Amino acid sequence: MIELKNIKSHFPIFSCHSDLVYLDNAATTQKPQSVIEAISNFYKKENTNIHRGIYPLAVSTSQKYEAVRVKIAQFLNANDPEEIVYTSGTTASVNLVVHSFLRPQLKMDDEVIISAMEHHANLIPWQMACKDVGAHLRVIPMNRLGELDLKEFGEMLTTKVKMIAVTHISNSLGSINPIEEMIDMAHQKGIPILVDGAQSVAHYPIDLQGLDVDFFTFSGHKLFGPTGIGVLYGKKQYLDKMQPIQFGGGMIKNVTFEKSIFSEVPQLFEAGTTNISGVIGLGAAIDYVNELNRDEVLGFLKRMENNLTSKLLEVDGLRIIGQAKKKSAIVSFSMESIHPHDIATFLGAENIAVRAGHHCTQPVMDFFQLPATTRVSFSIYNQEEEVDFFVKKIKEIKQFFG
Amino acid sequence: MNERLKGLYKTIILEHNKEPFFFEKNEKATYGLKAYNQICGDRFELYFDVKNGLISDLTFHGFGCAISKASTSVLVKNLRGKDFMEALLFCRSFLSVAKNDEGLDEKLGEELEAFSAAKEFPGRLKCATLAWDEMIIFLEKNITK
Ligand SMILES: Cc1ncc(COP(=O)(O)O)c(C=O)c1O
Repeated sequence: MIELKNIKSHFPIFSCHSDLVYLDNAATTQKPQSVIEAISNFYKKENTNIHRGIYPLAVSTSQKYEAVRVKIAQFLNANDPEEIVYTSGTTASVNLVVHSFLRPQLKMDDEVIISAMEHHANLIPWQMACKDVGAHLRVIPMNRLGELDLKEFGEMLTTKVKMIAVTHISNSLGSINPIEEMIDMAHQKGIPILVDGAQSVAHYPIDLQGLDVDFFTFSGHKLFGPTGIGVLYGKKQYLDKMQPIQFGGGMIKNVTFEKSIFSEVPQLFEAGTTNISGVIGLGAAIDYVNELNRDEVLGFLKRMENNLTSKLLEVDGLRIIGQAKKKSAIVSFSMESIHPHDIATFLGAENIAVRAGHHCTQPVMDFFQLPATTRVSFSIYNQEEEVDFFVKKIKEIKQFFG
Repeated sequence: MNERLKGLYKTIILEHNKEPFFFEKNEKATYGLKAYNQICGDRFELYFDVKNGLISDLTFHGFGCAISKASTSVLVKNLRGKDFMEALLFCRSFLSVAKNDEGLDEKLGEELEAFSAAKEFPGRLKCATLAWDEMIIFLEKNITK
């Protein structure tokens, strides 16, 4: 078991930048030494392609590549490793479901439901599919706190609805959505549902079988792993019905000029040479997370979030954007007449990394009638003192621009 | 207070940000130029008429960060009453100050010079040049007419 208090030393970036206060974890997390080493060792000692060579090194790489699939399935409690499809990230996972699962069956006047707080990655692909066929994108509304309206959601669930896609945790508001309930509601009407786990997978234990969710997506880089690797989980019954959208090597059984016979799920969706080192790195990241005491992590993050929120609320003219009852360690805020980019530039000069902007959720910004917010997002290596330092700087900013 | 920041947020910029020049909407103006930065969502509109070949009643409105708001305010203050050729040359001088392609032109004065630190914050350079870039596109298109 890794103890939280020693954790920062596992992340080499903090040795290179000893003053760095990294509060942009919702954008991407830092990587522990073990992940960096796994990738580096792979290239140094093991680099081969997979599923192709029959020499020992290639066989070993193929085995490791597939072992990570099993590891991911166990990590998320999927029923079967074959339900784990490697993709380049959440965006690619959603697009795969849209093009391969939804699009072939979507007809004019059908409906697709998303929520008011979706990341553009879980919005635009659905929107485009609807536009292509004359179907309608419906949006579950939220209140001013950033909580979805489940009553309204229930009423939206008619026979016209072919698919539901909703984020587990909002990257701009921090709201934790009641996905358990939403999945149940969807299934009562026989509608498949995708949950975007990009923001939840790092800290919240996911039990895919318990949730009974149909599709689940995440990106390795928000889970202390490398960029360019992610996962689409899909129930076998759905994956089996899906057509590949990319064709090429690695996904076929037999090819002639007349016709090709494809491999089985999940290789079917992994055409071409995939991100092998990314898979190896993701495996190391999951090993790392498995060493954490996840209850301790969640308790720590909650304390950080509560502490920062209560201190920020004392600052005159500062508004917290997103105050859902259930929230993750993401705190978005706006300051009267001080633009988020000025705040972020000021903080940047103090080596504090935050995100300022619309966080790829422009409709959320429109809803709160803001052009942008400043966002703090915590992870395991943050320190309690960083909250005080941050708040001190916010007060200085207020004075400076005030 | 960090020295680099002081360089970026000069007093002149803070003043323009707090009390911008000619900050008002004018939907009746002949011209309405939209300056929009899609990366950060800053959005200003420049309103003006042309009388006897001179830019007149130039105002602006919208929202953005301190740098973009102040730089638009400086633009409005300086381009009023100029003809298109003068205005274009002025805009180009401003850009070269902001990007420091060339040495600082003394006669441009400290109001423009205030933005010269933006180049040290590459993420913020566009804030300083947003409205100017839009104005230049307009002037280059219309100057021969
Ligand atoms: C909720 C949510 N969905 C989707 C994404 C997109 O992830 P990626 O850019 O890794 O594909 C993100 C990342 O910013 C996110 O926070």
